[in-house]
Amino acid sequence: MAHQVNNPRYGFLIDASYCIDCRSCMVACSVENEVPMDSTRIWIKETGITGKYPDLKRFTAPFHCMHCKDPSCVSACTVSALTRSEDGIVNYDQDLCIGCRYCIYACPFGVPNYEWDEPLPLVVKCDMCYARLAEGQQPACAATCPTGAIQFGKYEDMLAEAHRKISEQPDKYVQHVYGEEENGGTATLYISPVPFEELGFPIAGETSPAYSNRLVTEGTPMVAGMMLVGLSGAYLTIKHIKEEAAREREEAEKEKLAQAAVEEN
Amino acid sequence: MSNEFSRRNFLQLGAVTAGALAVGQMLPPAVARAAEAAGMLNSSGDGYVPSMCEMCVWRCGLLARVKDGRVVKLEGNPEHPHSRGHLCVRGQSGLFNTYDPDRVLNPLIRVGKRGEGRFRKASWDEALDYTASRMLQIKETYGPEAMVFSSTHNLSQVQFENLLYAFGSPNYGTQRSLCFNAMIVANMMTYGMEEPERIYDEDLQYIILTGRNLMEAISTSETGELSAAIGRGVKVIYLDPRFTKTAAKATEWLPIKPGTDLAFHLALLHVIIGEGLYNHRFVDSYTVGFDELAAEVEQYTPEWAAPLTEIDADTIRRIAREFAAAAPHALAHNGWRTSNFINSFQTQRAITILNALVGNWNVTMRAAGGEGSSALGSIPQPPYPRISAQRLDHVPARFPVVPLKLGVFQELRDSILTGDPYQAHGWFISRQNPVMSLPDRAKTLQAFEMMDFIVTVDIIANDTAWFSDVILPEASYLERYDPLLPVGDRAYLRQPVIEPQGEAKSALWIYKQLGERLGLGDYFQYEDEEDYINQQLAPLGVTVDDIRSKGYVDLPPGEEIGFEWNTPSGKIELFSDTLARVGFSGVPVWDAPPEPPEGQFYLLTGKVGQATQFGTQNNQMLHKYADEPRLWFNDTVAEDRGLADGDWVEVISEVGKAHIRLRVTPAIRPDCVYLTPGYGHLSKGLTTAFGLGASDSALHVTYTDPISGSQALSQTFVTVRKV
Repeated sequence: MAHQVNNPRYGFLIDASYCIDCRSCMVACSVENEVPMDSTRIWIKETGITGKYPDLKRFTAPFHCMHCKDPSCVSACTVSALTRSEDGIVNYDQDLCIGCRYCIYACPFGVPNYEWDEPLPLVVKCDMCYARLAEGQQPACAATCPTGAIQFGKYEDMLAEAHRKISEQPDKYVQHVYGEEENGGTATLYISPVPFEELGFPIAGETSPAYSNRLVTEGTPMVAGMMLVGLSGAYLTIKHIKEEAAREREEAEKEKLAQAAVEEN
Repeated sequence: MSNEFSRRNFLQLGAVTAGALAVGQMLPPAVARAAEAAGMLNSSGDGYVPSMCEMCVWRCGLLARVKDGRVVKLEGNPEHPHSRGHLCVRGQSGLFNTYDPDRVLNPLIRVGKRGEGRFRKASWDEALDYTASRMLQIKETYGPEAMVFSSTHNLSQVQFENLLYAFGSPNYGTQRSLCFNAMIVANMMTYGMEEPERIYDEDLQYIILTGRNLMEAISTSETGELSAAIGRGVKVIYLDPRFTKTAAKATEWLPIKPGTDLAFHLALLHVIIGEGLYNHRFVDSYTVGFDELAAEVEQYTPEWAAPLTEIDADTIRRIAREFAAAAPHALAHNGWRTSNFINSFQTQRAITILNALVGNWNVTMRAAGGEGSSALGSIPQPPYPRISAQRLDHVPARFPVVPLKLGVFQELRDSILTGDPYQAHGWFISRQNPVMSLPDRAKTLQAFEMMDFIVTVDIIANDTAWFSDVILPEASYLERYDPLLPVGDRAYLRQPVIEPQGEAKSALWIYKQLGERLGLGDYFQYEDEEDYINQQLAPLGVTVDDIRSKGYVDLPPGEEIGFEWNTPSGKIELFSDTLARVGFSGVPVWDAPPEPPEGQFYLLTGKVGQATQFGTQNNQMLHKYADEPRLWFNDTVAEDRGLADGDWVEVISEVGKAHIRLRVTPAIRPDCVYLTPGYGHLSKGLTTAFGLGASDSALHVTYTDPISGSQALSQTFVTVRKV
């Protein structure tokens, strides 16, 4: 049962060398998506001011959902409130969310935000403005970025552009496209003049925790599943377990019915 | 007025509108009907309406998404050269100005003491009758000159000026002397135009930015152009005592000593002339006064400038050579509000001359027209009454080269306080906040106390409205028309996207109503806002309904301006006879700026990306994403003085005090502090902004550049002590 991970249809290419920390993307996102006033779907990651006066540097980059090819949050969500669409958009359905916050712990990028102050709190995260995409518009952040730091387009084009830029200006950019491999690959790609850890980007492995979760859950479904539920580790994929279990039950039920039918005949 | 703003009431944004519509349903919803007829909105009232932003004076084109009679999102209009599909952080936040719960939605008449903030609602008839009667009383008793009129750069300003000239007062306060008088007067003396346009083409190689913090003082298209240039590898030299967000993007940041930009540029001129690096053919053909300039700058060596600027001589010499080598694909940016010392006019002159010497005209700079267009029709006006009274800001008597339309606003108050040459009694203010914009706020409030009558037109109870006798509520930029604005070969339309909330009205309507009550109705020959625009459009054979859905009309192409300048000589004036004839130096000369006494600091100002002056701090969305206003303080100095990040300090200048928290940072020169501008509001009608930060206007001392009339905003020195 090999898990198929398709490339996303769309991708972001965010170039930290162009970000001026103006926060236009943050406001555009908040207005577009009616994000609660005490929350946000975009942050600015930054190096802070480094060096000693007067030899100073500062780099920033907007940071939002990476839209992983194999999203840890999706695998951690117990109620399928988080899903990955065929286009590769990691979506969130607030009507299904029960506010368990497993996704927050599961995401290696620290993306899902939480309405801590609300009585019925929900998760807040980027959905690539899919409503805008449906109307042929770019996501709000990319559309408004005054410096072109946030680009949006077909994933393959964004990836090619990232490599073109860093190879054409090797003195300017770190020779790494963040998101190409991180967490199994993401639709949001970054290039930067400074190492990504200096920008405060997490050092994510090349495979998603979702992958190891599945190894366990798909290998020894019932037993391991029960154990995992018992341990209730934050990274563990209860949703998958439940789905697998349901499917197994369903199949067992079907088999039983089929058996009964055979026996009846 | 509640200041709570969670998601739940985010969704209720525009509840005010809904209420207003409920009342207004007896009237036809004109805005929606017109938008639907033009095909912009569908029958359920959803769609996009093109208009123009007003979150700053760059005036980007926008597309407003409307849903159920509410604006829900603003987009940059790809059809406008200033936005090109993008909006800056302020533009994106614009609907929060319109839907600010603090909006004033009825005319208000003061009932308490001035500044107490007690007003009663009044009908438009009552408020306008009362305002007109007080203005007429002042006119009849003391003469029209006893009324001061002031307003900040906006599209309806032409009708504000109409009201002022028709009323017969010479006293006109604009924001320009607080902003860019030095730049504009220098350009006029050199090029005969207010501001040449800058060209960031693919060939551009080298830019010198003198305090022009374009990554925070954002003009969407120009910020984008600079950013793209940097991306292409254009070399950017950036002079600023602070490590701003522009410094972070520049090739070289030079933390120049405040007030010495002039010395730096004079030394560049010295090297370029001394080493023969200028464009001889261009200088010979298109400039006058080269010999006088060469003789003056001979003394200004890089070695002379080095100790003044604290930039070493080799660096200055290298930059001069690099700039000349890159020319004509080189640009010395004039800056904007570099008018920060009283020598800033000379700095601006030196920059304009630097560009001229290397012959970058029509390569990186070209002629730009003003905001008018001869292709548009104008509204007929009878001749204005002759004005014999002199101006209270002493233009032109003391400021002979300052245009009357610019004025020297900050100088008005001394005349008001002394009653010399005569006493002013009334102040009509529209879309302006002099309590926050003028230096020495205490003096402005004293001047207010001398007034028999103050009236303010604004969308919100800003600090000036708070101290006024009448507040006339204006419709926001998403709720009204303004006169057309030509940009390039098009004239753009600001049109209402939603109905005005409450009783708010457009400035065009307010000025006309007042004009009629003042007996000046003949000066306002338009029926309403649409008629005004139709009169503008008449020569083009179209009406406002024809251009609504595009949001602009094409103008017949203007004449290409080549190598001619509207100066007395018809050439670029390196030496200005106009300046020499009124007793100023015809070429730029060194003028040593004052320095802070021992133990004091230069108080710097400068923009942040998430605010426009002092007009947007109450915008809840901008407030959400803005940094806390603080006082920047050099980290090494802080350590010496035992001060830590977040400490509360008292900042004391010659004219005021302020309490503010420190931001300890390496990003500022040790002899400077920087205060986030525009905070420290006095109006309790600004429930988001009130109580935040400290006021730079309370600290700024009034220092006026004697040539251009610019307020020297960085010439205030302060002491800082822990509290």
